Amino acid sequence: MTNLSLWVLLLPLLGFILLGILGRSLSRSIILGVAWGACGLAFACAALSFLSMLGTTPDAARTVDQQVYTWVASGAFHLNFGLLYDPLSATLLLIITGVGLLIHVYSASYMEDDPSFWRFFAYLNFFIFAMVLLVLADNFLFLLIGWGLVGLASFLLIGFWYQRQKAIMAAQKALVINIIGDVGLMLAIFLIFVNFGSLNYSDVFGKVGTAPTGVVTAICLLLFVACAAKSAQLPLYMWLPDAMEGPTPVSALIHAATMVTAGVYLVARANPLFEAAPIALNTVAAIGGATALFAATIALFQLDIKRVLAYSTISQLGYMFLGEGAHNYGAGVFHLTTHAYFKALLFLGAGAVIHALGGEQDMRKMGGLRGKMPITFATFLIAALAISGIFPFAGFWSKDEILGSMLSLAVSTGNAWYYILWGAGLLTAGLTAFYMFRLFFGIFFGTYRGGTAAAQRDDEEDETGSHHAGNVRFNAIHEVSPLMWVPLAILAVLSVIGGFVGSLAIFGAAKWHPLSGFLAPVFASVHAPSVDPSLGIEWISTALSLGLGIVGIFAAYSLYRRGFAYKENQSPAYQLVLHKYYVDEALTVLLINPILAFSRAAARFLEGDALDGGARGLAFLFRGTSNGLRRLQTGYVRNYALAILLGAVLIVVYFAVRG
Amino acid sequence: MQLSAYLIVSAILFTIGVIGVLVRRSPLVIFMSIELMLNAVNLSFVAFSHFLNSADGQMFVFLVLTVAAAEVVVGLAIIVSIFRTRRNIDVDEMNVLRG
Amino acid sequence: MDIATMVAFYVLAVATIASGLGVIVFKDAVHSALSLILTLIFLALFYLQLGAMFIAIVQILIYAGAIMVLFLFVVTMLAPDGDELQRDRISWQRIVGGVLGLSLVGALSYLLFTGASVSAATKAAPADGLQAVVNTQGNIEAFGQALFHGFAFPFEVTSLLIVVAILGAMVFGRRA
Repeated sequence: MTNLSLWVLLLPLLGFILLGILGRSLSRSIILGVAWGACGLAFACAALSFLSMLGTTPDAARTVDQQVYTWVASGAFHLNFGLLYDPLSATLLLIITGVGLLIHVYSASYMEDDPSFWRFFAYLNFFIFAMVLLVLADNFLFLLIGWGLVGLASFLLIGFWYQRQKAIMAAQKALVINIIGDVGLMLAIFLIFVNFGSLNYSDVFGKVGTAPTGVVTAICLLLFVACAAKSAQLPLYMWLPDAMEGPTPVSALIHAATMVTAGVYLVARANPLFEAAPIALNTVAAIGGATALFAATIALFQLDIKRVLAYSTISQLGYMFLGEGAHNYGAGVFHLTTHAYFKALLFLGAGAVIHALGGEQDMRKMGGLRGKMPITFATFLIAALAISGIFPFAGFWSKDEILGSMLSLAVSTGNAWYYILWGAGLLTAGLTAFYMFRLFFGIFFGTYRGGTAAAQRDDEEDETGSHHAGNVRFNAIHEVSPLMWVPLAILAVLSVIGGFVGSLAIFGAAKWHPLSGFLAPVFASVHAPSVDPSLGIEWISTALSLGLGIVGIFAAYSLYRRGFAYKENQSPAYQLVLHKYYVDEALTVLLINPILAFSRAAARFLEGDALDGGARGLAFLFRGTSNGLRRLQTGYVRNYALAILLGAVLIVVYFAVRG
Repeated sequence: MQLSAYLIVSAILFTIGVIGVLVRRSPLVIFMSIELMLNAVNLSFVAFSHFLNSADGQMFVFLVLTVAAAEVVVGLAIIVSIFRTRRNIDVDEMNVLRG
Repeated sequence: MDIATMVAFYVLAVATIASGLGVIVFKDAVHSALSLILTLIFLALFYLQLGAMFIAIVQILIYAGAIMVLFLFVVTMLAPDGDELQRDRISWQRIVGGVLGLSLVGALSYLLFTGASVSAATKAAPADGLQAVVNTQGNIEAFGQALFHGFAFPFEVTSLLIVVAILGAMVFGRRA
């Protein structure tokens, strides 16, 4: 099997180094050549390796652990820089480099007016490198390194327009919340090392049975803390909506398709650990389901189109965890891939709209764009149908695998909580369809509400509005350049056909499950009936979720088909959800203000009085002593003679007294 | 007489010289007090020489005498040159080296 | 004879101390100088009583004769009258100095009375010691022998010292 994963890792790194050092002085075409070349070649290597893997028949031969560099060889503990190329990492590599390449192409047009063009592409390449490192690492330590590096890349890219206060604050927020996750991951690594003596996946997963369940549960819960931070689940989700301050291609790549899925990847990779700790797995499912529903409710009323998509991402990530929580890790990964297609498409489409409207992001100032931007309109529609789980688009297949597994788990164990989680997933499907089509109708139907004097006034009094007011006149709106709509089209095609690698069992083709079959060796230690739900359960779950999805679409259609007319709604329930349940405000009061008050007090007392005061006191002591001692230097010789005499007398008296 | 008698006389003379150095302000009188101190010490040297039956004490007196002579020469030259520049020789006036 | 020696000692002691006090008490520097000369002469008499004839003569000749004359030259040249009529700026020095001086002499006396181990008898004279030579050849010969046998090096060094002092005095004495 041809394993080019090392090149997939190194090519983006090379691109980053080149662009980072020389980028400032290079021309646009060279920058694009380096960036596209690095990512494109990386994708080519990933694709070649993948095809070669398909051609390798025995399943065992598909897992290759390539030791690149021997780093630590200390007694019985070995830690090498190794790359694990197996079906799971192959799948993720394709997604990362493929969607990454499309976004590289898209960004060439989206960021064309930006003076820091070179810096953007340098950071994008860096991100690809970091994410590939995370996915390819064969031990927990390099996973942690990749984890931290993608956090760094996210910070750099969210705060890309660093002259804007909001962007910097959003980047800081993301970093701080992700550090909480990093601490969880580090603690998990400590526990793993103490209990298993090694950090390699193969060693650890082989020895899972040797540790007590409590320890494994603790490890899994700590790992999940890291996943919750990185994948924006409750209670560490707050950074993702704020991260929309970054450029839209960044939101598409990092905060939709790839980085936020690192948590899903980690749970899938560590499935032997999670299988041995049922409590932890139930926690994963519960938080996933709760987050899915919670985020969907917030997305219902948001007015900024990117915020709607951000909460939608949080919600869909909850779905992925829900699937993994039902022991069906393959379903989680499957939803990861389909979500990458349609969410990236949604973000890029939103980016096209924003670009065409000169920076406008507020839904209240849009409308009636379907005639002016036909390609964007069509692709957005396809993505909206996909995410709503409508047959036969991609989202239908992946979402129903998840819900089917959850229902099967509920039925097989009879536990009421699983039924509740399944119900939450169903309800979320309906809500997803509703808010997505609310967004769709709001942007593309009705009459254009921007570019007028009224809109200008609204902009000025609105404090939550977008950063640069667009106010482009309706006649000036046009479709975006091919560099932007070709990736949209490709992603739309993927959103249509991407679901067919899933299981078609409900249509009687029980042998057709290419993706789960492909991923089976990775999840070999999973023995749960919910992985393969019975036909009846699948049909019930699928019918219900499809029905709810269609209901949601019709509700949105009936309310918004003539476009989005915003009415100020003062009811407290509405205001509560509109303001995201006031979570950020509550955190500020409960957590941030006390911390700030403590720091101010510490600065004043600990540092000001104690440390500074101590230093000043010491100086004062010295100066006072020297001032006192200075008086001895009178300048009179006779005083000095007196001093000598005094010394002599003391000595004599001492001898006299001593006898 | 006992040795200690001579030594006590020497001690008294020495103390008188010390007090003279401390109390008087004319450098010449201070110098004379110093000479008084040296002579007191000479007395105790000679007394020791007599009572220990050794010539070393007298040797020492001889050398102290020589050194005192040289010291007086140079010291008086310094006082004279100070007087030339400052026109007064109160020791307390020379207090520039104070802190 | 013992009584004579004692009387002579006490008389000389009182005289020496009195003239010593005179050095520091007189306001006029010339009077102080004359008191010092008197003290030196009394000390020479002490040396005679202690059997150091050579030193006694040398003291009168050199110390009282040459050094004090030099002093008197400078005293009269500098005409230091009225030099101590200004206010004493550190008048507390007198008291402290007096106290310290008294404690010094007190402590020394105490030590001398209780500590001196050679207080009573004279040491036995070694065969070739000072007394032997004194008895046979006289004090000056004894002194000379000791000087040129044991103390020849210091003797040469003192000649160097005198040369340096002369040079120093000449340098200082030049009109600037």
